[in-house]
Amino acid sequence: MALGSLDPVTTARVVLILALLAGALFFTFVSMVGVIRLPDVYARAHTASQADTLGAGFGLAAVALTLGWQGASVKTAILLFFIFVTNPTAAHAVARAAFEDGNVPWTEGDERR
Amino acid sequence: MAPVANGRVVVPIEDTATLRATVAHVAAAAADGDVSAIHFVYLASWRDDDPRIDDRRTTAQDLLADAADWARYDLEDADVSENGIEIETALIAEDVYLFGPRQYAERLHTYADEHGIGTVVLDPEYTPVGNTTLLQPMEFELASTPLSVREAPVDRPSRRERLVSEITGPRFATVFGGSLAFYLVLGDPTYPFDLVTGVATALVVAISLSQVSLDHDPTLRESPLRLVRGLIYVPSLLLEILKSNVVVARVILSPSLPIDPTMTRMRVLVGSGLPVTTLANSITLTPGTLTVRARDADLYVHTLIPWAREGLFDGGLERWTRFVFYGREAARLPTPRERDDCAVLQGPDADEPMPFAATDGGPELDTHHESDEDRAPDTAAEAAPTAPGHHEDGDRR
Amino acid sequence: MSIADLAIAGGYTVGDVLLVGAAGFVVLALGMLYRAVVGPTMQDRVLAVNVLGTNTVVILALLGAALDEPTFLDIAIVYALLNFLMAIAVSKFTVERGGVL
Repeated sequence: MALGSLDPVTTARVVLILALLAGALFFTFVSMVGVIRLPDVYARAHTASQADTLGAGFGLAAVALTLGWQGASVKTAILLFFIFVTNPTAAHAVARAAFEDGNVPWTEGDERR
Repeated sequence: MAPVANGRVVVPIEDTATLRATVAHVAAAAADGDVSAIHFVYLASWRDDDPRIDDRRTTAQDLLADAADWARYDLEDADVSENGIEIETALIAEDVYLFGPRQYAERLHTYADEHGIGTVVLDPEYTPVGNTTLLQPMEFELASTPLSVREAPVDRPSRRERLVSEITGPRFATVFGGSLAFYLVLGDPTYPFDLVTGVATALVVAISLSQVSLDHDPTLRESPLRLVRGLIYVPSLLLEILKSNVVVARVILSPSLPIDPTMTRMRVLVGSGLPVTTLANSITLTPGTLTVRARDADLYVHTLIPWAREGLFDGGLERWTRFVFYGREAARLPTPRERDDCAVLQGPDADEPMPFAATDGGPELDTHHESDEDRAPDTAAEAAPTAPGHHEDGDRR
Repeated sequence: MSIADLAIAGGYTVGDVLLVGAAGFVVLALGMLYRAVVGPTMQDRVLAVNVLGTNTVVILALLGAALDEPTFLDIAIVYALLNFLMAIAVSKFTVERGGVL
């Protein structure tokens, strides 16, 4: 069965799932590159909390769309909500711990760490 | 009550179960001739330009009037002519949002100074903004002022009575309903076993956590409105996140890595508790900005690229947060840049030094800045814990 | 028939694509592992492990959708909450004085 032979709603749904999955992989990739490349813990916390949150958001949206209307999708929505609330909070806690430890944020011209 | 320095006392009040007894205690001290002036003050947890605070202001003023009436009544009862005793009421701190015990203590101290008062009498149940842990930290902060502090020797209601009064409260109902709903979503709402265990679990959660999980009583009028405005906020926040994620992704993936990380400080105009948490988390969620530390109304934000810094200082998220929590009218305010409430802490055009806390063994730096109206000279910083606006370490909890 | 079993091209179903996506997430997680191992500071490691945890949650959810096992989502929720707790707890207790949160 080829994609073209499906009804338009299902086609749109499949295309959207694939697009969301691609977006999820892309932003998680950005997050990974950032976590590896950026110079200090504060800068890494940026991508760790943000690009990764968006990547997870896209991934979970793809899951919800695949599951369709059923009880499990509500769980996906809850999961999405948790991730959007807890990820920035965790990043804040980590950055604050680094700050309390006296880590000076890296600035332009400092040596790469 | 032991003799009071110069006989003038200030009593911060709030609607508690022991307020009446505290007033009676102070009045009795006045009848004995230990106290010559009683000032009842109410520390406002709002700002005077918030919309729809008239109710709260009226409630506060009624409470102040009640306290003064009770005191006069008690004095009459004790056959003391009230002429010799000054009873004043005041609603203070309407010009700022109060954040922590330190600010409460500062405001009380300022008030006491203006009125020549040397003693604070605390209601043992005094917990403004519903924060159960405020009284002790506040006594601690007050100890660093020249004011002498005493707690009114009042019988507190027993633990059991308090528990009962909590169970009927809207906080308890909200926490119970929320946790039950969460339990049933995870389980199966039609299965009786899940219903029974859900009710039991939600009861345990609500009994143990309803006091700490909410800091205001939810109201039927304001809370649903906030929820609706929050739902309006979510899509626009998501769009903002998406937009800046693309910008930051391009920066991170470009081979030269053109970043310019800088720490900044922004003083925000949102209330303590949930509003400032929402704002700080929104800032963190928006790529390029990361809230490192919230010290009262000051958010220390690490910015990755200049573009994100400009966006932060434009204050769009701050306006949204004010919209969600205070309504549409409150969202119209000048940007932090126009208010001169933001500062860059690093790089060639740094306005201020980095605020490392002295307790962390970090470099001892002056952490104070221009925005306090009661700014004292820098030299007073170590010498005078008495100067308002100065403190050893603002972050001790 | 759930949409995960729907064949889209060359006999591969949507579920297969989701599985490939999950595999991609695993590969990306290996990259993050570098930061968790190298550090250099404790906070770097906590951060990397936190990101790994978020990835794990997404992988679990993708597997749940691809294999039509909705119970995986319950595990994912528990994992997400534990992950958050881990970051908070480690941040709090690795700072010598002062306190985080």
